[in-house]
Parts: sequence; structure tokens; C-alpha cells
Amino acid sequence: MSREIGSKGSGFIVVFFFFITLKTVFPQSGSDTVRLKEVEIKAGFQIDNRGFKRVKMDSTILIPRMEMSLGTLLSQYSTIFIKSYGASNLATPSFRGTTAHHTQVEWNGININSPMLGQIDLSLVPVSQFEGVEILYGAAGITRTSGAFGGIVNLASGPDWLNKTKVTLSQTLASFQNFTTDLSVSLGNTNFQSLTKMNLGSGKNDFPFFNDYADSVMRQANAGNLQIGFSEDAFIKIRNRHLITGRLWYSSSRREIPPLNTNPDPSHDENQEDRSWKGVLEYKYVEKAFNFTIRSAFVNDFLHYRYNGLVDAKHRYSSSINQFRLAFSGFRRWTINPGVDYTYSWVNSDAYAGQKRRTVLAGFTEVIFIPSKKLSLSCIAREEVVDGLLMPFIPALGVEYRPWPNPNISFSGNISRNYRYPSLNDLYWETWGNPDLLPEISYSAEGDITWNWLSNDKTFFMEIEITGYYILLKDMIVWTPSSSGSSVWIPENISEVLSRGLEFGINASILLGKTSLDLNGTYNYCRSTYEKQLTPDDASLGKQLIYTPVNTANTSLRISRKNFYFSYIFNYIGRRYTGKDNLTYMPGYNLSNIFFGKNIHMNKFVLSLQLEINNLFDLDYQSVVNRPMPGRNFALTIRGNFTDKSNK
Amino acid sequence: MFRDIYRIRVAEKFSFFLLLSVFLFSCSKEPVREQKPPPDPPPPADTTNYKYGFFIVNEGNFNWGNASVTFIDSATGLAEQDIYQLANNRPLGDVAQSMKVFRERAFIVVNNSNKVEVVNLRDFESVKSIEGFNSPRYIEFVDSAKAYVTNLHKDISVIDLNTLTVTHSIPTPEWTEGMVRYQQYMFVTCVGSFNEPNSKRKAKVLIINTKEDRIVDSIQTGKEPMGIVIDKKLKLWVLCSGGWDGYEPPVLVRINPDLREVEKAFIFPTSAEIPDRLAINPSGDTLYYLKNGIFQMAVNSASLPTQAFIPSSGRLFYGLAIHPIDGTIFATDAIDYVQDGKGYEFSSSTGAQINVWQAGRIPGSFCFGQQQNRKTIQ
Repeated sequence: MSREIGSKGSGFIVVFFFFITLKTVFPQSGSDTVRLKEVEIKAGFQIDNRGFKRVKMDSTILIPRMEMSLGTLLSQYSTIFIKSYGASNLATPSFRGTTAHHTQVEWNGININSPMLGQIDLSLVPVSQFEGVEILYGAAGITRTSGAFGGIVNLASGPDWLNKTKVTLSQTLASFQNFTTDLSVSLGNTNFQSLTKMNLGSGKNDFPFFNDYADSVMRQANAGNLQIGFSEDAFIKIRNRHLITGRLWYSSSRREIPPLNTNPDPSHDENQEDRSWKGVLEYKYVEKAFNFTIRSAFVNDFLHYRYNGLVDAKHRYSSSINQFRLAFSGFRRWTINPGVDYTYSWVNSDAYAGQKRRTVLAGFTEVIFIPSKKLSLSCIAREEVVDGLLMPFIPALGVEYRPWPNPNISFSGNISRNYRYPSLNDLYWETWGNPDLLPEISYSAEGDITWNWLSNDKTFFMEIEITGYYILLKDMIVWTPSSSGSSVWIPENISEVLSRGLEFGINASILLGKTSLDLNGTYNYCRSTYEKQLTPDDASLGKQLIYTPVNTANTSLRISRKNFYFSYIFNYIGRRYTGKDNLTYMPGYNLSNIFFGKNIHMNKFVLSLQLEINNLFDLDYQSVVNRPMPGRNFALTIRGNFTDKSNK
Repeated sequence: MFRDIYRIRVAEKFSFFLLLSVFLFSCSKEPVREQKPPPDPPPPADTTNYKYGFFIVNEGNFNWGNASVTFIDSATGLAEQDIYQLANNRPLGDVAQSMKVFRERAFIVVNNSNKVEVVNLRDFESVKSIEGFNSPRYIEFVDSAKAYVTNLHKDISVIDLNTLTVTHSIPTPEWTEGMVRYQQYMFVTCVGSFNEPNSKRKAKVLIINTKEDRIVDSIQTGKEPMGIVIDKKLKLWVLCSGGWDGYEPPVLVRINPDLREVEKAFIFPTSAEIPDRLAINPSGDTLYYLKNGIFQMAVNSASLPTQAFIPSSGRLFYGLAIHPIDGTIFATDAIDYVQDGKGYEFSSSTGAQINVWQAGRIPGSFCFGQQQNRKTIQ
């Protein structure tokens, strides 16, 4: 079927190719990419984790995708499955076959999941707001929080002490009237750094799609969005002993929510406003044998949801999060990292009868024992008191064995027990919340092999990681119709889920003369099944969890030469069932995206031009049933960057 | 130097071929849409006639758009899933609330798609998609030219059955639900404003003059009057849930339609269990409703039954209907709302299970087509 966007697309391409064929007029100097004789090692798979898996995504992946949301970034590059309701609409993560409740998102160590729902909408987090992403898998998150059975995504921004001045301004024009502006200003010296970021994004998202129900091509209606963000991170270093950090992050978004494609009502009026303030103050003291950090954060979130005059609900929650961390490595082979967290949250919601509060006091410690260069062991213990009640004890044990320095290969694994306390909605939602809910419990085991290799002439780097995991989730909280009547739903600890799978990742960087190639690939196999038959006719026993694909794969290939770069990203999302009996399903599909660009260097100034083509083959697909997704679409980004680094 | 050039050429060729293979590899693409299992067993040749059998109307999940209709053929006793999609090659819509047959046609009220789908009973092909409602709930035929459709908001829509359009509407004080015809009137249960709590809602039965399409009177009832039926003595029964928020205990009221007043009120002992889906047998002497299990009560009974006639035994009974000729009890099990449900038939004398069929997602109501003198199929 014809797509009007085709003509606009070719317009983009014409303009873009004009720019990149411009010969660079200014002399190039000090350009890192041209003079590089060694491949840049962007070791994603972390070794020396003592059995707790971590993966890092650094700025080379983030910078070209700055105008995206975290949800889109993770869906293209990570093993986390993102369930997306549409362009700039609700996007929730599913990690290792668990649900969105079991994935926590942190901002520089501060948990930003909503205590009401226990999850976070990843489409509201713009990539431009932070410098790096770290993913902690499974039990690796236990030192940070309880309840993240799947894992934790940590968004981080750290100081670059060599920086003097760095200013980046970028403007993106994308299909369906999407405009994004990002400004980042970083100033400082060897003792002080300030990082200021602002982003502004808006879009109409009126993409054309084929509506089976109306049997015609339509334009998506009521799908616009407006997002504004501002953040300030300031770092003060005193005599290499004291580090004071202050952070502030404000974000505001207004989203229109489109109707289901079987209800094409022109008067459909559904929208959501989100406004959030987050602030942190942190002090770190460093000695040779130990260091400690004191951190205090404040989070305030406001959500206003309206639906066609039927629902008009406001929710506001605030949290005060206080953390103390100590790292003690005075003994020869031992390191002890104890910590205490105190969190106080309160919620005012139209759906709760009165204000609801929660206090969490958590104490934990990680004890690391490294008996030799080959073996390291880590034991984590965590205990929490929630609203005065002692929660189940959380232990974890990890081990890592590196038999040889060459090849650089590590065998590791961990076992753990974890729990998740019910979200505030589960406990206090008007009339039907269940204050007697028990926490969910999980038992997990994981085994991992990681290998990396750098060639002698340092032009070839490769790393592979294979992880197998096994997670048993008991007393899972599910909202089900109660015995009082089929129209009355209450949350209960009734379900049991078993999730087992394999994560495979490969990264390679190759330098061929002046051309560098980067390959990143992940493949996930996950069988996550219902393990309890709840009623006589329940046909879900042993069936795959709904909207949880068994197979997913992501591959990205990046080629760069001189100042030109090209990247191809391929995503495969396997079949997802839409019923617990696995009778109906959304078929598997694959998506291709490309982006390419040119950096024009002029002294300390770099002008970048980038064109992105998403859904390259114009696939007509849906991620969630009856929620259309856009076909082929484009984004043109112009970015100016001025960098003045100190020479130390 | 030549080695460098060679390396570069290799890299360029490599990337070109990669791109080319990617283009070729990803060529033809089917649109990615929800898939449903093929019908099993395949429908026999003469099942394109939907007149002799009955239908289970599956609501589907709210805002998923997976409503459907299941057909059970009287002759074979076999269930056929998703017949609207099969006949019309497009989905039915979002939340099919109810369905009624009138003169060789079936009218399916698709609540969240704001439509009434009209199909002919011969092959279930769509005749018309009537639009212009305010979240429609149930349909009742006044005469051969006119039908009423109750809505969650604003009004009762009036359909012209010749043009199959909404010609006008009767403004109401918000949510109207069930309807029963009596003489030249339509008695309609009216819950009150959808958004308001039950403490504020004015629950009543509206009396509408069907010649003038005008509300002429109303009778106050307990909160949330949902189902309404008429018995053999021409008395009306209304089942009031007492409110989803447990505002007051549920109550079953008997109304004298001539005097237009409540004659008797049977108050339920607790608001912890909410009764729903009031139905009556063809001889008009026994009432049925769901309250976890299936309850049965004679119309001349002095009090409410204390025990279920058919206990739920762990099932989630969601829909209930009584066969308009045989009087057997039909109920649906929605299981957990996130998988396909089941339809049951029970004996009205013993409560024993006679039949069970696979249904679609959240089966909520039944629709009986024209029936021959059907034997129950063992």
C-alpha cells in the first residue's frame, strides 16, 4: 500500500547527501578517529564481577541515538525485551522472562521505579539525559535493591576530569513532525566539573498504517507528545580525597494516547501528563584502605491520566532515599562492602483512600574473598524492614574462576534468593487493594563463560559471553477475579513462574587500515512458563508467559572510515503469545534500522550530520495486539560539538 | 601501501555484499498481526447456515480488540470459533457485550467499538455496521421497524430497522442497561452516572412509551439495577448489585408494572458476594442468577436461596442464560480473563453437566437462534 511518507523520505535523503558530499574546507587536526592505530576497546562484558553479570553500554552507542528513548535503545541493543505500545507510547521491560515489576531502573544509583506500580515507563526516559548505561543481571542487583529478579538498568553520568569545556547542541528532524533539540554544556577543571543538559522533544506521530478493522489506510490519531527535560550534575573533588556530587533532574511530558485500531473514534480523548523532580546530594571520602559514600536523594513524581471523560485521575508520589556505603579493603585478600539504605515514600492518589506511606530500611553487605589470581568469591547478604515488618532474608553467593591469563576466559556463576514486596497499588488501590499480600519470592542460579581477546597488533578485539539462568518465582502477585464476583478483581499471591534461558553475546572491533568495524550481537532464548493450574479449566500450566518471546536477537554492525560512519541494526523478536493458553499469538518479526553520518572537523569543533532510516523495509507490524507501529521513517540530525580538553 | 588499498577494498566489498544480502534476505513481509488457531475440526459443508444452533458472545479483553463469536451447531453439537472473522475477514471489534437475533439477522452490540454489527444468519456476513452510539450495551426490538439500544452514557439510541441507522435517541440520566417489553412500554434499568459513586447515583427503572419514544415514569430501585426479566404472572424482577463499591447489600426486587411500584424486595445477606446475570426460564416460573455459583429461585419463593444450585467448584462463572425452549442452564467460565474460556450446559432439574464447549476470550453472553425442537446432545 502506498505510503505518503515516501516522498518526504526522499526529500530527506537528497538534503542529506548534499551535505555529506561537501568537501571539508577546514584543515583537520587532532582528530582521534583518523590517527587511531589501535582499536578502541569498548569491553561491554565485564570480567572480574565475581559471578554477578554486568554489561556496559558506553557513549559510542548512545551518542548517535540521542534523540531516542531508553526503551527504544534497549530494544535495539540489549537482551532485554521491550513491550511497546507505539511510537513514544508506553514501553515496559521484561528481563529474563520476568515481568516489568521485576526490572528496576536506577539513576546514578537511585531507584526511579514508581512505588505505586512498581514499574517504569521507559519511553519517558530520553537517552540524551545521561552518558552511559549499565545493565546488572539477576542477582547482580542485590547490593542495590531487592525485588529486581530480572535485573537493573542503571543510567549514569560521571565527571570527565580532563574536560575543560564541552558544548554539544543537536537538532533532529524526524518523520511525523518529530522535532528534538538537545543541548549539553560541560565545564570545569581538574577539581570541578559541571554538566548541564536540556532536551526538548515534540512530535505529532500521525503515521499512516493499514487498519484491518476499517479495511483502509488511516493516519494514527491522538498520538502527539511533548517532552521537556533539564538536568544539572556538579562534581567537586578536593585533594583526591573528597568528592562532592550534586544532581538535579527535571522532566515533564505530555502524551496523547491513541485509540485502539478497532475503535477509530475521532473524538477519542486519552492523554497522560508526567512531571518529575529528582535531586541527589552525595559525599564520598576516599582513603587507601577504605572509602565511604553518603547519598541523599529526593524524588517527586506527578502523573495525571485522562480517558474520554470517564477517568480523570491524579497521582503524586514522593520519596526520600538515603544511602550509606562503605568499601573496606584493609585486609589482604578480603574486601567488605557494607551499606545501609533508608527510604521513605508517600503517595497521594485519587485511587487510594487517603495518603499512603512506606518506609524501607535495608542493611546489606558484600564480602569479597580473592584467594588467588584465579579465583574470587563473593557473598552478599541483604535484609530489609518494610513498614516495620521484617522481610525474607536475601543471600547471594557468586564465584569466578579464571584458570589462565591467556586466553582471557572466566567461568563464573551465582545462586541467590530474593524477594519483592508488593507495589503500593497492589496494597492500597481503592476498594480492591489487598493489604494482606505477601512478598514474592525468587530462587535463581546462573552460570557464565566470558572470553575476550585482543590481537598482538591491537587491531582486532573480540569478546563473547554465554550465560545460562534458572529462576523460580513463587507467590507471584496477579490481579484475578475474586470469589466475590467476576467483576471484582483483587491481587493475590497465587502464581508461580519458572524462567530458564540462555543469553549469548558477542562484540568484535576490527581495524582495517583506516576503516574500523564494530559488531555487536546478542541472542536470547527464554522459556518462562506458568507453573500452577489455578482453576479446573485453567489451561495455562506449562505455557509460555504472555508477551514474553522465546527467541530474540539483536545485531548491530558499525563501519567507520575517516569521518564517515555507517551502522546497520537488525532486531528479531520471536513469537509472543496473547493468551495464557498459548492459543493466540503475535508472530515473530524482524526489523532493520540503519543510520549513517559524517563528522566534519574544524579545530576543536565537530559538525556531525546523521541520517537514520528506521524500519528500513517498511514492515507493517504490531508489537502489542491492535496497536499499530510506524512504517519506514527517517530522522535527520545535525549536531555541533565543541571540545576543549586539558592536556594532562 | 598496496596492502592497505587491498584491505580497504575488501572492507568496502564486504559491506556492500552485507547490505545487498540484507536487502535480499528481508524482502517479502506479511503484516504482523495476532494469529489465531485454525478451526478444528474444519467446519462441515452446511455450517454456513447459522440458523440452527446458538452463539456464545466473547467480550475479549478491554482495549485489545479481540472480541469474537462462537457458534454451536444444533445438529453436530460442535463449537466453531471466531465466526465473524471467518465470514468477514476482519475483526469484530473491542468488547462484544451482547447479541440478539431478529428476523434472519443477528445484531451484535460491540461496546467499546461503539457499533452494532448486523449480520445475516445465513452466512454471518456483515450487512451493516451501525454507528452513532455512546458505548452501547444491549439491544431490544420494539417492533419490526424499531429497536432500542442502551448505552453507558447519555441516552438510549433508537435504530430504524429498515435503514439500519440510529435515527434519534432518548436522553436519559446516564447509564442504561437491561430492557424488558411490557405492553406498549419498555422497562429499562438505569444505573446512574457512570463516573459517580453509588452514594450519588439515582438508581431506577425507566418506563418508556415505545410509540412516542419518551420516558413517562420511573421506579426507584436498589443501587446498580442491572438485569431485568418478566415472569409468568407479568411481574418484573430486577437484580440490583448494591454497587461495585459495596455501597449497600444487593437486592432482588419484584415490580408491578401496572402499578409501577416495587412489591417485594429480597435483600441479600452480605455485600461481600455480588449476584449478577439475572435470567428466567421459558415457563417464567424460575429465576436464575450467578453468585459465584448458579442459583435458582422459584418466583413464588418466600426467600432467597441459601445455597447454589450448581456450585462453581473453582470455575469463574461469568455469563448465564436459560435456553428459551428447553429451559436448560447455560453458563460460561472466563477462567482468568487472559485465556480462552468455556461454555457449559447443565440440566435444570438435576444440575448435572450435559455439555462443555471451548469458547473464545471472556465469553460473557449467549444468543439463541431459531431452534428446531432440539434434542439435547449427549
